[in-house]
Amino acid sequence: MGDAAVTIGTGEQVMFWILAPIAVMASLGLVFARKAVHAALGMALTMIILGVFYIAQGADFLGVIQIFVYTGAVMMLFLFVIMLIGVDASDSLIETLKGQRWAAGLLVLGLGGILVSAVGSVTYGLSDGVAQTNTSKGNVPAMAELIFGRYVWVFEVTSALLITAALGAMVLAHRERLGKGPNQREWSRRRFEKGENLAGLPVPGVYARHNAVDTPALLPDGSISELSVSRVLSAREQTRSPLADLEAEDAIRAEIESGSER
Amino acid sequence: MTNPYVPLLILLALGFGFAALSVGTSLVVGPKRYNRAKAEAYECGIQPTPRAQGGGRVPIKYFLTAMLFIIFDVESVFLYPFAVAFNQLGLFALVEMVLFIITVFVAYAYVWKRGGLEWD
Amino acid sequence: MTAFIAGPNGTADFSDTPLWLSVVKALFIFVYLLVSTLLVIWFERRVIGRMQQRPGPNRNGPFGLLQTLADGMKSMLKEDLKPANADSVVFTLAPLITATMCFVSFSIMPLAGDVTLFGHRTPLQLTDLPVAVLMVLAVAGVGIYGIVLAGWSSGSTYPLMGSLRATAQMVSYEIAMGLSLVSVFLYSGSMATSQIVQAQESLWHFIPACFAFFVYVVTMVGETNRLPFDLAEGEGEIVGGYFTEYSGMRFAMFFLGEYINMFTVAALATTMFLGGWQAPFGLPDNGWWGLLWFTAKLWFFMFVFVWLRGSLPRVRYDQFMRFGWKFLIPTTLLWVVAVAFYVAAKNNWFGGPILQIAGRDYSLAVLIVIGVCASLVIVASWILGDRAERRAAERLPQIPVEVDPFAGGYPVPPLPGQRLVEPGAADDAYAATKEVSRG
Repeated sequence: MGDAAVTIGTGEQVMFWILAPIAVMASLGLVFARKAVHAALGMALTMIILGVFYIAQGADFLGVIQIFVYTGAVMMLFLFVIMLIGVDASDSLIETLKGQRWAAGLLVLGLGGILVSAVGSVTYGLSDGVAQTNTSKGNVPAMAELIFGRYVWVFEVTSALLITAALGAMVLAHRERLGKGPNQREWSRRRFEKGENLAGLPVPGVYARHNAVDTPALLPDGSISELSVSRVLSAREQTRSPLADLEAEDAIRAEIESGSER
Repeated sequence: MTNPYVPLLILLALGFGFAALSVGTSLVVGPKRYNRAKAEAYECGIQPTPRAQGGGRVPIKYFLTAMLFIIFDVESVFLYPFAVAFNQLGLFALVEMVLFIITVFVAYAYVWKRGGLEWD
Repeated sequence: MTAFIAGPNGTADFSDTPLWLSVVKALFIFVYLLVSTLLVIWFERRVIGRMQQRPGPNRNGPFGLLQTLADGMKSMLKEDLKPANADSVVFTLAPLITATMCFVSFSIMPLAGDVTLFGHRTPLQLTDLPVAVLMVLAVAGVGIYGIVLAGWSSGSTYPLMGSLRATAQMVSYEIAMGLSLVSVFLYSGSMATSQIVQAQESLWHFIPACFAFFVYVVTMVGETNRLPFDLAEGEGEIVGGYFTEYSGMRFAMFFLGEYINMFTVAALATTMFLGGWQAPFGLPDNGWWGLLWFTAKLWFFMFVFVWLRGSLPRVRYDQFMRFGWKFLIPTTLLWVVAVAFYVAAKNNWFGGPILQIAGRDYSLAVLIVIGVCASLVIVASWILGDRAERRAAERLPQIPVEVDPFAGGYPVPPLPGQRLVEPGAADDAYAATKEVSRG
């Protein structure tokens, strides 16, 4: 089925010439962006456009999975990592892994080899062509047949890969605690057992002149509630007194009263 | 008979056009009264806490969640073609899938046992 | 019942749909969604009002129907603030991503069967793909970017925390949602929405896939950040969550996105589990009737959303995550395996005799699979329930049998299992303490 691979519709060509430059620019953005999050966004855009290319060539399942897994999950992980460590342009650029450039070069060569063989098998008509498979079997069932037939071992080995990923994530990212701290459940249980502040601490003050978390509230009897401002703000001595607001309010109230008597 | 993805792009373009138009219009129509306090980060009225370069750091717990998400995402990606083509695939595929799910369950049980699924 | 016509690659037949008709249909869906959003916000406020014994918005237009339109116009005329240390490009991009992506998923929803539009016979569905349902999940995955980027680009603490929470919440529940859909694919043998609707011609999927339906309904509330799972915008904890710094129309875009996402997940639930546009009890559903049934089912889910919001308090974050990771995901995986065995037995892959019960054929293997699953569920609930009961008994504090209601100075009602001291006896006891203290 070499013919099916050679005929390319005009629509596909137009789409390619619009999207390919965007993809290239997004990839360049990945390399040159100053902020790490912008770089990650460029990469996400490249992934989406790759997915669109797969779809345009008739590989529906692959294209949607490309968007689903890479954009939806892997890039989300990247974004988390970037926010997690707070990298920016001022970080040191010394490579800690020895020989990673050589390894990367080897992997690039390997990828190139795979690409050449794939393009070659299409050019010389060794594969069926995705268009014919789509009409004869349907895209997804044909994919399933390959995964659960010819590549069954690869599929089962994938599960080992997933176990490795889980192990790696736990080793790298799981924080072992020495002692067990109270979790939210225990905090709320403790609060109810003590019977104090069942509905939470009092909220900070809201006055006609001022409303902020650094101003304590007044209790019904007019005394100032220290519980209503954050402990951290009190420790930093960043709280302010509500008395000025009260005086201003009193002045206004007095003015209104004297106005009504006049 | 057009490509089935073209109508999807039309709706995408409509949605984007609507969003861009309304945001753009409001930028033009809305008032602009500059005030330094308005442009500050909102922290319930106090002076905003200075923010670390690059946005500060977040708990590593989220990284673990994202990693576990990828693991189960990949698993479900294999389940979809399996489910769709199940009637053609036959009993052998069911055995394969059960083996696969059991293997991933081992990883899941390990993470659970180590306390990777606890939030506090 | 309408005859279903299948197109190539296992999707609906669009051979009589020229491109301009697709544009018309896209416009129709766009307007349908916008009008539905205007209505559902009013609907939500009115119903919540009824539940809280107050009228709700009733001033603008008949029954207050134009309230949402007025609110939209107002946010159009508001100042669109941008914090000084926000990342200006991403800050504008985030609401645009949210508002764009929410529309896309609706293109694969079958709103009705075949209708005649301008002399062409076409299904009332914008397009159909062999991977339609996966497309919805993929689009939802891209939509999450709007939330992450909104939080990050605001340059402020609360939005960042809100967006992290929202993202972790949505990705966690997306797994369970994706897994719950697998059993539907097993029953219908396709991921194209039109085929899934067709597969429910005799029996809607919410009966054979009852557990998956339950999981889906739970996860759809979690995915849309609605009460009781609206942890990302818990007002008492992190102000407004990821859109704290947004105002004006950019904020309205997030609002729009949230409501259209509600319609999307509800439409998917309708299509996957409730027979799509098909009518119950053999009522007419050919042509445009389908749109009526589809809309009715959609609004049923909208009412459920509002009802939940009106009656449930917000859960804690650890409860929410524990429920997702430790209950929904493993049980849904087990359910998928059980359904796979059931389908295999139904296909008679295990062999075995075929029994005749009440005039219908049942393969012995099917009965065995159902029996094994049911007994496993019963044993598991027995063991777990027993353990939970024992733990609860251990945790229970020792309650004195008789309590004095005025002991703390305030009158308090007795705890379960307690008995009040008789007033007379309490007086005697009081007098006795007086005696003791005097003596």
